[in-house]
Amino acid sequence: MSSPPSPSFFKATMAIVYKDLAAELRSRELLSAMLVFSMLVILIFNFALELDIKVRQSVTAGVLWTTFAFAGTLGLNRSMAVEKDRGCMDGLLLAPVDRSAIFFGKAISNLAFMLIVEAIVLPLYALLYNEARIFQPSFLGVILLGSIGYIAVGTLLSAMSVQTRTRDVLLPILLFPVAVPVLLASVKASGGLLNGATFAEILTPLNLLIVYDVIFIAVAFMVFDFVVEE
Amino acid sequence: METIPDTSGYMIAGYLIAFATMGIYTLSMYLRKKNLKRDLETLEALEAEQTKKK
Amino acid sequence: MQSKPILLTILDVVSIIVLGVAAYLALVFAPTELVMGNVQRVFYFHVGTAWVGLLGFVVAAIAGITYLVTKDMRWDRFEVAAVEVSTMFFFITIVLGSIWARPAWNTWWTWDPRLTTAAVTELIYIAYFMLRQGIEDPEKRARFGAVYTLLGGLSAPITFMVIRLFRTIHPVVIGSQSAEAQGGFSMTSDMKTAFFFALFAFTVIFIDLMWHRIRLGSLQEKVEQLKLNVSM
Repeated sequence: MSSPPSPSFFKATMAIVYKDLAAELRSRELLSAMLVFSMLVILIFNFALELDIKVRQSVTAGVLWTTFAFAGTLGLNRSMAVEKDRGCMDGLLLAPVDRSAIFFGKAISNLAFMLIVEAIVLPLYALLYNEARIFQPSFLGVILLGSIGYIAVGTLLSAMSVQTRTRDVLLPILLFPVAVPVLLASVKASGGLLNGATFAEILTPLNLLIVYDVIFIAVAFMVFDFVVEE
Repeated sequence: METIPDTSGYMIAGYLIAFATMGIYTLSMYLRKKNLKRDLETLEALEAEQTKKK
Repeated sequence: MQSKPILLTILDVVSIIVLGVAAYLALVFAPTELVMGNVQRVFYFHVGTAWVGLLGFVVAAIAGITYLVTKDMRWDRFEVAAVEVSTMFFFITIVLGSIWARPAWNTWWTWDPRLTTAAVTELIYIAYFMLRQGIEDPEKRARFGAVYTLLGGLSAPITFMVIRLFRTIHPVVIGSQSAEAQGGFSMTSDMKTAFFFALFAFTVIFIDLMWHRIRLGSLQEKVEQLKLNVSM
């Protein structure tokens, strides 16, 4: 586990990512579900919060992150449940690769799905609400950092929740309280950027976001072994 | 400050809840223990019966 | 199950005595706070339970790590005991804080860093029990529990730091800025006696309850084991 990543480690990770993306490209069931769900959440928010220009000023970041968090849970659940149900997980575990390569493989493909959803939802939101400020690079950077932290914890916890009796119900209950810091820091940082804060003003939430990402990637990487071992 | 506000009601409620929570918890632990002990006795009797049959 | 050790019986008696003394010190001995009146007295138990609540969660995280390293089920029982007792104490902390906040801040609840972190922590540990309930294999249950306490223990301080970016009105009683926060006060020496005794008393009660809970865990395991034997 502590040995420096060897070429075969990257190869194994990439093989898992490739497998997931190829399977998704064929079925498209995960991405389409996440996307439709995201659009529905935004639709509901639109009427529930009366998203006129004044309200949007303060809630855009919150609406977007809530949408991503919900859609992310959907994707995480599905992506891990597929492995479990089709017995792929056992196959992966039997393969002579480092277990943490499985973690990184799953995490990267989950992240890819989440980023694809974001890449479609964000422009759509910008179009619907005439919100061009979404496209500033630092805003997109915050979205990326937040997604990384969320997916790192989410991948680990979904590997746990699929092995329990209550599986689908359990993931959000396990994930949301632990992911509170990453969601709130992201909302704070991206909300600040949308309202024209300078980089120095969002430095604190940004730092916390990075700290969270680093700590939780490291911990998830270290304990993933314990979650999948039989 | 000349008059001390009378907030005794809140205080009494607070301490009642604190003691009640601890009491309920201790009671729950006691009940769980009693049930487990009963289970243990039944199981031990069952086990003794099984070994006798063999 | 081995019979109850004498030390535990002594600890039981001591716990009841210190709880009584702590209650006496808090309710009678300590002077009435002049601005808030009697409700300030819940503060002694509030901080006392908060202290053991936090202590328990730290202990649980350490026990979790130790379990993952040693794979010894005793550490799992230790961890469950710590989480369960702390969850109970933390519940008291939150309720007492809320009762105090009503007259002091004129609201039952406010989304302040401490309150929010306390609520999130409580939710994490409720999720912990839901996770454990969904797993039948005791060994897997222990592993997942240990991983989850570790995640919870790491995310709680970051939650606190993040929510602090929003703002706070919670008083910091130990430290310099006590009077600045709304509802803050400085303690007289009699108050300090009651305060530190409450900390001590709850530590003793915490150890006592944890010990009982660990014994309950062993009993549980024994019953589960016997069930397997009998059904075979």
